[in-house]
Amino acid sequence: MPPSTPADDPLEAEILRHALRIAAEEASIVVVQSAHSAMIVEGADACAGILDREARLVTLSTATNLMHASSLRCSLPAVLADHDVEAMQPGDVFVMNDCFRGGIHANDLLVFRPVFVDGRVEWFTGTLIHVADLGGSSAGGIVPSATDVFAEGLQLPPVLLYAAGEPVRDLHRLLALNSRTPERVLGDVQALVAGVNVAAERMVDLAGRFGGERLKAGIDAYLTGAERRMRAELARLETGTYQGAYTLDGDGIDLERRPVVRVEVRVGRRPGREGEEGTIELDFSATDDQALGAINAGFSQALTGAVYAVRCFVDPTIPMNEGCFAPVEVVFRKGSLLDPNPPAACGGRVVAVTAVCEAVVEALGRARPDHATAASSVIHPYTLAAPSRLDPWLLLSYEYGGLGARRGSDGPSATGAFFLGGRNVVPQVEALEAMLPIRFECQRLLPDSGGAGRWRGGLGVETRIRVLQDAELAVRNDRVVLPPCGREGGRDGLAGEQYVIGVDGATRPLPAKAANLRLAADECFVLTTSGGGGLGPPAERDRERVLEDLAEGFVTPQAAAAVYGVELAPHATSSGGRAS
Amino acid sequence: MSERCVLGTDIGGTFTDVVLTRGDGRLHVAKQLTSPDAPEKSVLMGVERVLADAGVPASSIVRVVHGTTLATNAVIERRGARVAFVTTEGFGDLLRIGREARVEDDRYDLLFEPSPAPLAREAIFEVPERVGARGEIVRPLDETRARAVATTIAELAPQAIALCLLHAYANPSHEERMAEILAEHVPNARVVPSSRVHAEMREFDRASTTLFTAEVAPLMASYLARLGDGLAALGIDAPLQIMESSGGVMAAEVAAERAVATLESGGAAGVMAAARFASAYSLPRVISFDMGGTTAKAGVVRDGRPAVVRELHVGGRGSFGGRRAGTGMPIKTPTIDLAEVGAGGGSIAWLDPEGVLRVGPRSAGADPGPACYALGGTDPTVTDANLVLGYLSPERFAGGHLTLDPEAARRAIERAIADPLGTTVERAAWAIHEAANANMASAIHVVTVQRGLDPREHVLIAFGGAGPMHVVGVASHFGIDHVIAPPQAGVASAIGMQSTDLTAEHGRTHLVRPEALDRATARRLFDEVEAAARAKMGVAGADVAGLVVERSLDVRFVGQAHEVPIPVAGDAPGGADSARDASPDPLAGLDAVPERFRARYRQLYGVAPAGRVEYAAFRVRLRLPVDRPPLVDAAHDPDHSVVAGVLRPAFFGPDEPVGTRVLRRDEVLPGVETVGPAIVEGPVDTLVVPPDWAVASDALGSLHVRRVEVRAGASRRSRVVEPTREESA
Repeated sequence: MPPSTPADDPLEAEILRHALRIAAEEASIVVVQSAHSAMIVEGADACAGILDREARLVTLSTATNLMHASSLRCSLPAVLADHDVEAMQPGDVFVMNDCFRGGIHANDLLVFRPVFVDGRVEWFTGTLIHVADLGGSSAGGIVPSATDVFAEGLQLPPVLLYAAGEPVRDLHRLLALNSRTPERVLGDVQALVAGVNVAAERMVDLAGRFGGERLKAGIDAYLTGAERRMRAELARLETGTYQGAYTLDGDGIDLERRPVVRVEVRVGRRPGREGEEGTIELDFSATDDQALGAINAGFSQALTGAVYAVRCFVDPTIPMNEGCFAPVEVVFRKGSLLDPNPPAACGGRVVAVTAVCEAVVEALGRARPDHATAASSVIHPYTLAAPSRLDPWLLLSYEYGGLGARRGSDGPSATGAFFLGGRNVVPQVEALEAMLPIRFECQRLLPDSGGAGRWRGGLGVETRIRVLQDAELAVRNDRVVLPPCGREGGRDGLAGEQYVIGVDGATRPLPAKAANLRLAADECFVLTTSGGGGLGPPAERDRERVLEDLAEGFVTPQAAAAVYGVELAPHATSSGGRAS
Repeated sequence: MSERCVLGTDIGGTFTDVVLTRGDGRLHVAKQLTSPDAPEKSVLMGVERVLADAGVPASSIVRVVHGTTLATNAVIERRGARVAFVTTEGFGDLLRIGREARVEDDRYDLLFEPSPAPLAREAIFEVPERVGARGEIVRPLDETRARAVATTIAELAPQAIALCLLHAYANPSHEERMAEILAEHVPNARVVPSSRVHAEMREFDRASTTLFTAEVAPLMASYLARLGDGLAALGIDAPLQIMESSGGVMAAEVAAERAVATLESGGAAGVMAAARFASAYSLPRVISFDMGGTTAKAGVVRDGRPAVVRELHVGGRGSFGGRRAGTGMPIKTPTIDLAEVGAGGGSIAWLDPEGVLRVGPRSAGADPGPACYALGGTDPTVTDANLVLGYLSPERFAGGHLTLDPEAARRAIERAIADPLGTTVERAAWAIHEAANANMASAIHVVTVQRGLDPREHVLIAFGGAGPMHVVGVASHFGIDHVIAPPQAGVASAIGMQSTDLTAEHGRTHLVRPEALDRATARRLFDEVEAAARAKMGVAGADVAGLVVERSLDVRFVGQAHEVPIPVAGDAPGGADSARDASPDPLAGLDAVPERFRARYRQLYGVAPAGRVEYAAFRVRLRLPVDRPPLVDAAHDPDHSVVAGVLRPAFFGPDEPVGTRVLRRDEVLPGVETVGPAIVEGPVDTLVVPPDWAVASDALGSLHVRRVEVRAGASRRSRVVEPTREESA
């Protein structure tokens, strides 16, 4: 006799979990494979998930980064508020981007499709990507000059994109008219729909395979299991109250102000079903007020940073589903950088969200010193685009810098910090050159950019891109004024930089956060990302490690002598392995 | 020549298997310990043995197929040739910057360790030059500086030089010129230009594939030269072919240049053997389980075909068997999808600092080998445990070529495991056996459960010297109730590779819209790609009878980066059986490609974009079908004697041994079930049938083991599986 729920049969429960994960994974792959915007297709950055009819997150694609861990679950309630779930039709698809109702910013479109089991909506599948262009005052969605949300692009409340399987033409026309790259945007929207379709199909298959009720029971067990593990893990943290803070360069508008994200983390315990349960509260109330520039983070984004940072201090194998959110209490102050009031500009929210992570890691690093790290670089995005709409082309891409040193190891170089994943999302040069009128002149690790320390920060990267036609540039750099800081005697990393080399070879500085910058054909855009902070005094670094760094070119002989006190013998250059 | 015989030889970490298949399908088998320092020696000794055993002249051998782990070991242990890397000025950090993904648990790990850089700075060189994306020369190669670089490289005396210049797939002239300059200045190094290895866009993937090719090529070349000389000395002048990861074989002459295509050589042979039996039994879903001395591998065969992926990841992470896309270093080569764990007969049992029993991944290999080999090994291994448990006969191991020492096995287990844990040798041995089963179950887990497949819907086919001994225990982990141990399961990889086709594949990135592609250009491009594929196959320029040419295009919508392969002739890509080259105009289907792409896209993604279509790459796959030896092993081993009806005490739990029947393989009769506990001894493998399971054989000589209770429960599915057809040739 078959067991009544998959949870009663451990193997079946496991098959179900993996089948769910694969459905989300497959949806994200489908989005990536059918998308049109260069960053998505070359960088493989898409998010897909499955949610239940209460908007609880069931599963999330795992191959992509975690920047969007809570975006789907925080925005589906807006769809459910505006559209009666009982009136939904099979084949309906909804789209939204409102950053004050769980969305991210204009260019990140969130798409949902209800999944019917026995005639009733039981699940939703969701996908999201950064689409090519959706208006606003700068191509591609980086609008550091924006001081309100209206300058950032077309805003969408939850609206029907497909009705009973048929495209809603009016909306498609509206989207196309609001884009500098209409063909690409419609291609991207279609990719998002392809993703929710595939995942929905898999959910229907699963309901057929397990039976609707057993599927629900199995998923319930999956979510409560994750929650139980989270609570048990939190109970292992040292109880107490810990503070953390991180200071940002600025919002690009008010150049004097250095906004600060502050958190108080309260780790406690309470009696629970199985002995003691851990509790954790993250109170961001003391964070500065919302900024005029676009570095504010809508609540779903701030929540991603907070929950992600907590996840770094518990068992990493706990699946990312609603069970991870349930035990984490997060308080934001309405009107602050995190959870701003309309019409705050939110396009550059990743600047604030990484600060959320830095602050929580600093605080919890006190509860678990073995996990303490120095500060890391951030994402350094840029767009290059045709200045006119006659022959539109557009690249939104980014570079990563060095991560902070950890206790016991150097910070990795040129990779995504925190929820940003690895560098696999940065496109390869050849593919970009084949699509766009640009030519990369170099991409190299920057010697001495990693903060010195007993454990060294990771290195930043220098990228040079020559534009072959006149172009418009937008950049949103941070860690340019205030570099990622070192800790416990470790030095700061090297700050990032951005400038232009003119046709005559002279350099021209660029502001760190600016859009609509003009480049003439054959000018070269140079972007350097910051290095991670160091941990512990440089004098305590092993001489062997300094010598290795010299051989690899990670530090220069000058820095080795000045910072680490390691002098090279006159002939002992880096070719130690040279054969006779 | 009266008789045409084929040799298959498979080198594993512990044993080297040699199988000679005669014209009528009779098999002659030799299992040899592998000489780690000179693996060709064990092959040659085995060849001598099977020739003598069969009593056929060396001249009767018409084909030698070889599976080798040389490339695998070199890559995994980073023991490849000393290599220099040359790239375009400004991009010397290309491989060191990498583009590693953080996946699964690593995403939450503040302390994660990125993979080590594949190359030290001193081995990386830049040359001033630049080719654009359309193949145009942006900056000519600076020959003076190029020569200076070559001179510096010469001082490093590398064995090989990997050369990857930007956009060389679109215009290889700079790479070719640089290769000439390097050959001139560094005459002893093998120069490997990326455009010959992988003429496709995306510099990191191409550079990585080229680097690994350069690291392995010199080792492969000298090894195959030694092996070829040895075979010639035995009087064998038949072509030598190397098993490749995609499930085909290639000529030894091209194996050095295509060294990375052999990375899953042995594993692919095992899966191909499983595929062959799956077809013979018309089984739609089969798991191949291949356990040797060092590792165990699992793959899934659905509808007779193994899944093939386009790239491998060396040193990758994540639960997909360490092959998670985006992690580790990519190697672009078609590869049968399989998962591998470090658990085999030679895997060493040990206690971790917390006193928990662990098995593997370290293996005693062939030297010193398990303690019971009495060759100097003192660490307890899985084979030692199996001997203590009564599964192995001390006198008849590996075809009687090794006598096992049960006392040495007991001593090793006692010292390292039983005493520290305060338990008996037998209980410790049982725990080792079970721990090995759990490790191997995790490989099956990867290819089934983690991909959403239910293992219970599959039949498990066991191969490898140790496979049949563990297979029922592994099946029990999943509730699989039907297991097959084919004839000569212990050397099945060596048999499987004898019936694989000669294949080669080449692709080239070329972006073009269908309406801009005239027939003459298409023909020229396909001809050039075919010429490169023929060079890879080693049949350049030759008129080869029976050669199947499959042409396909990678197609996408304008603006996309991911393509859907569409065969020009219209069938599914990789379709096995159509000799499509027979059609008078091989490009007749070209005009229909965009339409078929749109249809396929709709089927794959459920949406029908109206966008414009473009072609991104031209591909040619060549296949030269071979005559397959018959599947039936007509010969039973007359010298292999077991006293019929003997009872041996064996353990099927930690406590008391059970009197267990020991049978010879040919005593298990077709259609007559023998209920366990039983041990079935063949010349090269031993099948263990626990209580509650029953074994019977079939007309092909395979052993079928089924769970007894299931039969009593009167069948959810038909349990009668008889050979229905030999797979089509």
